[in-house]
Amino acid sequence: MPLSYDTSSAAALPAATSALRSGLPRSRIFISNEFGLILLIVIFALVFGTMTHGFTSHFNLFTLGRNTAVNIMIGLSMMTVIVTGGLNLAVGAIGVCAAMLCGYALQVLHLPWPIALLLALALGAALGAVNGFAVVRTGLHSFIITLATMSIFYGVMIFLTRAEAYRNIPFGFVHFGSMKVLGDVSPLLLLALAVALALAALYRGSVLGREMLATGARREAAELSGIRTGRIITLCHMLSGALATVAALMLVARNGAAIPSMAGQLGQDWLLPAFLAPVLGGAVLNGGKAPVFGTCLGAALVSMLTSGLLLMQLGAFWVQTFLGLLLLLAMFLDKARRSYLAYRNLA
Amino acid sequence: MTSNPVFEARGVEKIFPGVKALGGVSLSLLPGSIHALLGENGAGKSTLIKVITGVHRPTSGEILLDGNRVHFANTREALAAGIGVVHQERNLIPRFSVAENIHLEQLVGRPLRPIDYAELNRQARQWLDEIELDVDPTRPVSELSVAQTQLVEIAKALSLRSRVLLLDEPTASLTPSESQTLFSILRRLRDSGVSLVFVSHKLEEVLEICDRVTVLRDGRNACESQSMQGMNRQDLVRFMIGRNEQAGGWRKRDVTARPVSMALQDVATAAGHRNISFSVRQGEILGLYGLVGAGRTELAKAIMGRIRVTGGQVLIDGQAARINSVADAIHRYGLGYVSEDRKSDGLVLSHSVLANAGIVVWRKLAGRFGRLSDAAVRKAVLPFLEQLEVKTPSLAQVVANLSGGNQQKISVAKWLAAGVKILIIDEPSVGIDIKTKAYLHQLIRELADRGTAVVLITSDMPEMISLADRIAVLDNYLIQGEVENDGVYDRMSQAIMNLIHHEAGHAAVPA
Amino acid sequence: MSKQSLLRLAQADWFGPLVVTLAAIAIIRGFSPDFLSPYNIQTLLIALAINALIAFSQMIIIAIGQMNLSVGAIGGLAAIAFAGMMQVWHLPVALAAILSLLIGIFCGALNGALISATGISAFVITLATLAIYKGINLGITQAQPFYGIAASVKHFGNAALFGLIPMLAVPTAIIAVALWFLLTRLPIGRFILAVGGNEHAASLSGISVRSVVILAHAISGFLAACAGMLLVARLQLGQPSIGDDWLILSFAAPVIGGAVLSGGHVSVVTTLLGVAMVALITQALVVFSIDPFLVQVVLGLLILAAVGINRLRETHLIARRA
Repeated sequence: MPLSYDTSSAAALPAATSALRSGLPRSRIFISNEFGLILLIVIFALVFGTMTHGFTSHFNLFTLGRNTAVNIMIGLSMMTVIVTGGLNLAVGAIGVCAAMLCGYALQVLHLPWPIALLLALALGAALGAVNGFAVVRTGLHSFIITLATMSIFYGVMIFLTRAEAYRNIPFGFVHFGSMKVLGDVSPLLLLALAVALALAALYRGSVLGREMLATGARREAAELSGIRTGRIITLCHMLSGALATVAALMLVARNGAAIPSMAGQLGQDWLLPAFLAPVLGGAVLNGGKAPVFGTCLGAALVSMLTSGLLLMQLGAFWVQTFLGLLLLLAMFLDKARRSYLAYRNLA
Repeated sequence: MTSNPVFEARGVEKIFPGVKALGGVSLSLLPGSIHALLGENGAGKSTLIKVITGVHRPTSGEILLDGNRVHFANTREALAAGIGVVHQERNLIPRFSVAENIHLEQLVGRPLRPIDYAELNRQARQWLDEIELDVDPTRPVSELSVAQTQLVEIAKALSLRSRVLLLDEPTASLTPSESQTLFSILRRLRDSGVSLVFVSHKLEEVLEICDRVTVLRDGRNACESQSMQGMNRQDLVRFMIGRNEQAGGWRKRDVTARPVSMALQDVATAAGHRNISFSVRQGEILGLYGLVGAGRTELAKAIMGRIRVTGGQVLIDGQAARINSVADAIHRYGLGYVSEDRKSDGLVLSHSVLANAGIVVWRKLAGRFGRLSDAAVRKAVLPFLEQLEVKTPSLAQVVANLSGGNQQKISVAKWLAAGVKILIIDEPSVGIDIKTKAYLHQLIRELADRGTAVVLITSDMPEMISLADRIAVLDNYLIQGEVENDGVYDRMSQAIMNLIHHEAGHAAVPA
Repeated sequence: MSKQSLLRLAQADWFGPLVVTLAAIAIIRGFSPDFLSPYNIQTLLIALAINALIAFSQMIIIAIGQMNLSVGAIGGLAAIAFAGMMQVWHLPVALAAILSLLIGIFCGALNGALISATGISAFVITLATLAIYKGINLGITQAQPFYGIAASVKHFGNAALFGLIPMLAVPTAIIAVALWFLLTRLPIGRFILAVGGNEHAASLSGISVRSVVILAHAISGFLAACAGMLLVARLQLGQPSIGDDWLILSFAAPVIGGAVLSGGHVSVVTTLLGVAMVALITQALVVFSIDPFLVQVVLGLLILAAVGINRLRETHLIARRA
């Protein structure tokens, strides 16, 4: 973009100063990601509601809510690292590792379930810290670091568990997975929304969150402004690990068991939903943006499409293809939107 | 001279969406001549170079080669027509050999014929001999020095039988003796009939080797293809900024009674500085003059805790300071640093004005559990943004969309908001317009008057002489000496150049 | 040999991996005398033959400074296409093979075209196409293998030259030589490295970055398809899960061989040595009766160690120049 020079004369000054006081501009809501996502969700809800049997059934709405909760957590887990301009291929591996520790604590050690949950969260955060530490220390891109650690974490987990599931989960914990509150709502969905609210508060209204955003957008500038960016990046990875753990624990509650293959080989099955939600939600892969609500909406759209396509007898195997196409489509639309905005800014 | 121009641009206009970068610029190049292309940042030099080399197509106007009108659709066509360019940034493939880099263009025409490396090396040797560069053509360019890679690029341009060769700031990262080597090669090329265009900020160099000059100002010709005969520095400067260069506004400020704010004693750094000692008092403006590559920015970053200090000590208010991170420097010792590289080190371009202006004070403003509200940040930074007359549609505006001048004001405002006691300002007027520059100068003086210790780093001599109380000269990562500034341009610039050339063993170039 | 040329040799990028590989062979041989038995060598070579193609498929993308997550998905799709065309359509082997290779090339080229047309990061594009290609694979097969493999293919999978070298290694050897020639001698291969080394400079030199990116991805797709088809011959069936576990492996070998992830520096020889090291270590785990589950852990650690060493070497080089 060419540098444009300030040509405004002294006469324009008072107006400019008052603009400084006027605060935020009208938000361009109609071309925002969130608006587009809500529109899509409404349209697909109508389509699936009229074209399929059972989309609006109590059972389907309940499971849809529950799946949405898991997808939201997986998406947020990736988003917290995308904020730093990095990515975390090990979300699935970390989640499964933590879930298996939880299962071990419950079945073998007979610990009370709240303690088992805390242990799992601590492990998730610790594995995230390993990623963060390695990324900061080596200065390498998080892609290759987390590619390696996903293999290591998963391999150690399979070695220790002998690839066996823990099925002896206390009812008090499993009950969360099947419970309904406020009609057909799963408490897991409420939990996911609560976590999302907390994250939104973190990024909007706390020093730590803002330092994460600044670090992600331009690390050197943040460092020279007195932000300890190494520490911040490690924290982002720890947060990612903890959120991945929450997602995995939700699955444990839903399945009534901690299963080593719950996220596929090396936890790879989580990668697509993990990127779909934030990318649909408007995250920038270069970092510096944290669209928490967009990510939630993205996860909701993904869950709804999956559920609707399955109900339309499309066959479970083709759903993956559609989600892949959705990711491509989302990227293209985002690209187009950005060039439109850039064009408008120039004109 | 009697020969006809080999290249001409007539009334070239280039309009980008919303910006007129060139408004009818003309230029004619003679064979066997070194033509200076001058202008301030943003005057349109780089746009003109891009039009000449086929990167941009002109909106109107014509380009003539040997008197015939031509249109370049892309860089390849310009190259094929004999217009070569050595860009400011390096344009070589680091792991490829010298020979392969020189011949990359030729390979494009025959993508499937196996490469005969022996032949390639032999031909490359020829071009390297031409410019008397003694490097092994089989060596990867990543192993060469900056000066050598620059010369390889010239060899590459020659191998394409360039008749017109543009050099964009070729001496920016060369030592004085390397520059002299380059100049002797340029003179030889000139004598062999090549038409050279020399783009530089260093007027001494322009006066030394150029014979004709074109100056751009605000996208127009301030002077067009004139002979350099009888021109002096002041003439060039008058063309560039439209008035006489002056170290204006300097006034004597006596600060000897005030306490020393920061002192460096025999500081050595991981970047390679040795025995760096200087001090700055409260309310004083200490100039740190040095050319690009002298280690100025690195020294600033070392003081800020970004680069490791390996020896000596830094005293703040007379106490030895332990600065292990930039956060220490800012929050414990009240240091601040306005970066030379606004776009990558100074500002978070993709974030709002408010976020950028407040970034340093976030920690101070945070409430319980690290809570932070926009209102609190706005209250803290607004007075400074208003004081600096930052022009922005709103505080939520993304900084990338503002002009260079306003960006610079924001990167200063954030340190004012932080209430720093010592402010290091690195090249304050890079890429900003003259009006803002004057304004910033005034601001720096006011800051010092209010008691801030200012370390001013700049390679802009007039700027230095109009602002500094005292000038320390940095060259080759060493302090070469200090001069007390008296605001008289000729005397001061002479003294500074003497200190710089002292080590290199040159006589100072008269200004 | 003079001291200087010895020093030069030691600095060559294939020297370190070669020494490590030979040392690994010697150590394992020391502990397990039948390690170099003809049978073991054959097993090792078969693993090498297939893994090398997987590694090359990623290597050519690393060369342009990008990544390709869909290597396994393309390989799997080509594999089931190959088997499916033989079982369902009863196509002759040669035709099925050519069509499957074309599918691989098309999938790769599509990746490249999407990346260069949109400027979106290769990571996201290939993650999306990974899902698409894998979904098509599962949609067609319903996750059931094709068993109707032609006898000639089965025979090819079992045969060995001179009773020692498996036939499966022959295509890989030819491809390795061709790739080496492409990347070191042919201008078009040099353009791939040039784009990875300095994209801006490459385009200023008149190289069409867009076509080079598409070409590299097409080659990647071709190589992945080759690997998938060799696996069909080896397994004697068209398994839909072919390619599912290629991701780590495809990065491990080039990175262990010293490839620079930012592009511009890859080598067929060191990548081969990287593949050999991975195969040897897997073999060593068996010899020392270590849990096979730990292979994943070792692979991950190897990648970390390799990128760490590469990083150190780079900073060392920079420090030496300064």
